[in-house]
Amino acid sequence: MASILRQFAKTLIAPTARNAVALNAVRFKSTEPAEVKETRPTVRKADIAARAQLKDFGKYCADCLPKYIQKVQITAGDELELLIAPEGILPVLQFLKDHHNAQFSNLVDIAGVDVPCRTNRFEIVYNILSLRFNSRIRVKTYTDELTPIDSCNDVYKAANWYEREIWDMYGVFFANHPDLRRILTDYGFEGHPFRKDFPLSGYVEVRYDDERKRVVCEPLELAQEFRKFELEAPWEQFPNFRGANPASEEVDIKKTQK
Amino acid sequence: MSQAAKTAARQVKPILSLNKEEARKRVLNLYKAWHRQLPYIVKQYDIPKNIPQCREKLREEFTKYNNIQDVRVVDMLIIKGQMELKEVVEVWKQKGHIMTYFKESQEPKPKDFISKFLAGVN
Amino acid sequence: MAGVLKATTGLTGLAVAKTPHHTLGVLYGKILRTLQKMPEDAAYRKHTQDLIQERANILQANLNVEAVEKQINCGQIEEVIVQAENELILARKMLNWKPWESLVKEAPPNQWTWPPAQPSK
Repeated sequence: MASILRQFAKTLIAPTARNAVALNAVRFKSTEPAEVKETRPTVRKADIAARAQLKDFGKYCADCLPKYIQKVQITAGDELELLIAPEGILPVLQFLKDHHNAQFSNLVDIAGVDVPCRTNRFEIVYNILSLRFNSRIRVKTYTDELTPIDSCNDVYKAANWYEREIWDMYGVFFANHPDLRRILTDYGFEGHPFRKDFPLSGYVEVRYDDERKRVVCEPLELAQEFRKFELEAPWEQFPNFRGANPASEEVDIKKTQK
Repeated sequence: MSQAAKTAARQVKPILSLNKEEARKRVLNLYKAWHRQLPYIVKQYDIPKNIPQCREKLREEFTKYNNIQDVRVVDMLIIKGQMELKEVVEVWKQKGHIMTYFKESQEPKPKDFISKFLAGVN
Repeated sequence: MAGVLKATTGLTGLAVAKTPHHTLGVLYGKILRTLQKMPEDAAYRKHTQDLIQERANILQANLNVEAVEKQINCGQIEEVIVQAENELILARKMLNWKPWESLVKEAPPNQWTWPPAQPSK
């Protein structure tokens, strides 16, 4: 994290010797013990120093790629998220991978989120890591059942199996993927198990049939024909909880845009 | 603008085919590929069916989706069909997976009153 | 080259550069020329240009490879070369993508709200 600051300071201020001194000063300051009384010792503290730098970096990205970045936010205290339009997956990831100030050369994971009440029900989440600056970023985009998303296999080789997994679990089609097929489910499996409308028991059950000497597959009587999707957490009805802990903090990027 | 006109004019990203004609050609191509593969399937998987029975089943599997009009849905089904064909050709599937299409172990659902009564379903 | 040629970089798959000064100079020249094709007010161009220019100046000022590494402070010279290669590829792709244009489309309403079911306040 300190190196990101350093990189920034360098590009903005230029002189280097003064920088090193300033950097040391920052380091000393951050290791001073906090004097505030510890009230919630089991809760992970957000890194305040890192947050300021991540905010700056978020603004920097939004400045460089105003065409694709819709929103920049900090979640869980010190995690940077770039929320982008689906058209911009390749440019944004390529930028984060190859730019001198980013160098997020490592794709840690691709995840999916299904929220059936939205018009674009699937969120695709890319977690990427910069070994050079010891920093992580999350890139999020959205799609629906029938809109293909560009495969980022050309940018990150690791994306191959992750995208297959997303295809298998959510049924999101990745355009230009070299080898898109199932990866976790059995051959002949129907449906996409991580969709919210997929029943917990599945549609079919499989058993060994003694007469036929092979495994047979039979449809299941579903006990529940209809389900309602309420995504409210059970504790949300308590007034103390409402708005007490915003899940994310938006970083203002409008100012930097022209 | 009315709701209907809005949905009609909505720009969507195509999956494979740009229009219905193209989608139709793709479906026919897929059908032919399956059709040509059937003799090999019968032989390789050693299933207790002959080729005409398999053809009938293939036709049934395709005509099941007769009423689908949306090009993108058709495209999605084509993609899934192609993947399935590849699984069959490469013998990633096993005999059981092939026989799943024929639904042999499933009893037909009781329709008339007396058989429903005997099955204990109301 | 005044720098002592080392035996290895210590990184798998990364060979010791024979003429790091020359290679890096050429790469930086190419990047700067690619950036010239972008519009003046593109933020990407400005930031990258400043950064590359600074590195190019360091490169010109020092003949010693170690001194260059120390002043750029971004790993060994071979790694800096790889970074420059990546930036060059990126800059060329950016010319096609034109990311400095205004936002392609706004997110649909409620797309980025979390938790998805907002309790009425």
